[in-house]
Amino acid sequence: MIDLFVMFWTVMIFTSVFWYGFLLFYVGVKGGKEIKEMTKTLERRADEEKK
Amino acid sequence: MNLSLIDWAIVVVYLAGCMTAGIWMRRFVRGVEDFAVAGRAMDVNLGIASLAATELGLVTIMYTAQLGYEKGFAGATIGVIMALAMYLVGRTGFVIKPLRQAGVMTIPELFERRFGKGVRWAAGLFVVLGGVLNMGIFLRLGGEFLINVTGMPKDSHALEWVMTGLLGLVLIYTVMGGMLSVLVTDYLQFIVMGLGIVVTSVLVIHHMGWNALVTQLWMCWDGTAAGVGQTLKSHPFNPFDKTNFGWPYIVWQLAFQIAVVTTWQTQISRVLASKNEQTARRMYSRTAFYFVGRFALPGLWGAAALVYFSFNGGLPAGLDSLTAMPAFLSTILPVGLIGIVIAGMLAAEMSTDSGYLLTWATVIYNDLISPCVKRPLAPRTRLLITRALVLAIGVFLVFFGLWYKLPGNAWDYLAVTGSIYLASVFTLLVAGLYWRRATAAGAYAALVLGAVGPLTFLAVNLVVPKEKQISPEVAGAAAFGLAFAGMICGSLLTRPARPDLMTEVAK
Repeated sequence: MIDLFVMFWTVMIFTSVFWYGFLLFYVGVKGGKEIKEMTKTLERRADEEKK
Repeated sequence: MNLSLIDWAIVVVYLAGCMTAGIWMRRFVRGVEDFAVAGRAMDVNLGIASLAATELGLVTIMYTAQLGYEKGFAGATIGVIMALAMYLVGRTGFVIKPLRQAGVMTIPELFERRFGKGVRWAAGLFVVLGGVLNMGIFLRLGGEFLINVTGMPKDSHALEWVMTGLLGLVLIYTVMGGMLSVLVTDYLQFIVMGLGIVVTSVLVIHHMGWNALVTQLWMCWDGTAAGVGQTLKSHPFNPFDKTNFGWPYIVWQLAFQIAVVTTWQTQISRVLASKNEQTARRMYSRTAFYFVGRFALPGLWGAAALVYFSFNGGLPAGLDSLTAMPAFLSTILPVGLIGIVIAGMLAAEMSTDSGYLLTWATVIYNDLISPCVKRPLAPRTRLLITRALVLAIGVFLVFFGLWYKLPGNAWDYLAVTGSIYLASVFTLLVAGLYWRRATAAGAYAALVLGAVGPLTFLAVNLVVPKEKQISPEVAGAAAFGLAFAGMICGSLLTRPARPDLMTEVAK
């Protein structure tokens, strides 16, 4: 009963679990830094507008 | 109720964290540009989190699990096709590159530059009607999940009150901080939701056993299990089998998903909030595989629910293919973890609601109200109007989607509004960006014919017997065909207003 479709879905489902787990950490760390960067950019723009 | 004190604590901490972060972002909002497209300061990873969180709502989890319950693992084929479409669009920059270069806030705004104010207004109306009506079912389907997982009483109005409260929280931070709040809360929700999905998937696989799940799913299909019978009518693994999606539907989905990922305004709003077109393209190609899991993981839960109930005395009374998955999860999730999963699912619901509310409010202001105003409004007034629109859509959704029951088949209305939107707007986008000869007359013809097609199919399917009804792939392909035919004929029969418009679009 092991056919190509079963193998395909097994790979898709297990890769999805690992990919979601990996993105949790990767995007978690990188996205957090980008939020800091974005707020700094917005603050800088606000300061420039005041001047 | 299935929740312990620790589960409640997890949910409360999550909600408090989200509200604090969302309200905190209000300080950075200085104008409509900050409110609607986050000052175009979004980088790629934040974009991935926001795009993934917005496009994976509780409603998505419910219907993809239902696909798993009814079509086995092969139900996730649409996710694979969508991932392919995302990757192709990200790699080539098809539509999204010129769209981001144009520096517009909404898709209809681009249409004004190319086809004039009237087309912008008409397309804006299609976008809003299709989008808001589609969103109408989100709250009820999301509520069904929470009711079944938590064990809240079904006969009271618990579903309506819980979802009204949840939407109220979303409205507070979306009205205050707009896209900036949405991005930051999407980021938190992406993490909590991802954790909930990974934990649930691992638990489901551990509880069922992978080999046992595959074997029993097969037995549900071929009916060889003693005393179980055939509980699955579609081939569980082969999407090309005629009992599953079949070839014509899959070919149609390839084209359809390209239209979805280049046209659906909530996805495009992330493209428009990106720093530049390279960021937008990277965000698309790197998010692509996420869309496989968007279908495959809830599909796994749905398929497991089918096997579980088939081999344990059948589906209990009061449950159906939609509510089987949450009922199944409530039986396998232990204390402590159920809190994480519920927080994850609340995150999925909230991120989708906030993104959609903001997107449609921006389109209403930008494309329906703004073109009708003779003198430009003060930035403060524009901001106030957009905030009021977010609130108004929220109130409308509470009554339309929760407290008022739609007469007839709601799904038909939603399918029709979605088809009208996608066929018309995709045609206008592709012709507007890539065909110099396209004219305003062609755009109007595409809008009208793109709407006539789906409405005709709805009317025909209402009167003919079920076996003679027009299939979704035929109806969908014909809607796109009619819209493109309208654009081509209308454009060739008229002269372009200005030959230099094409280059102006990208300025």
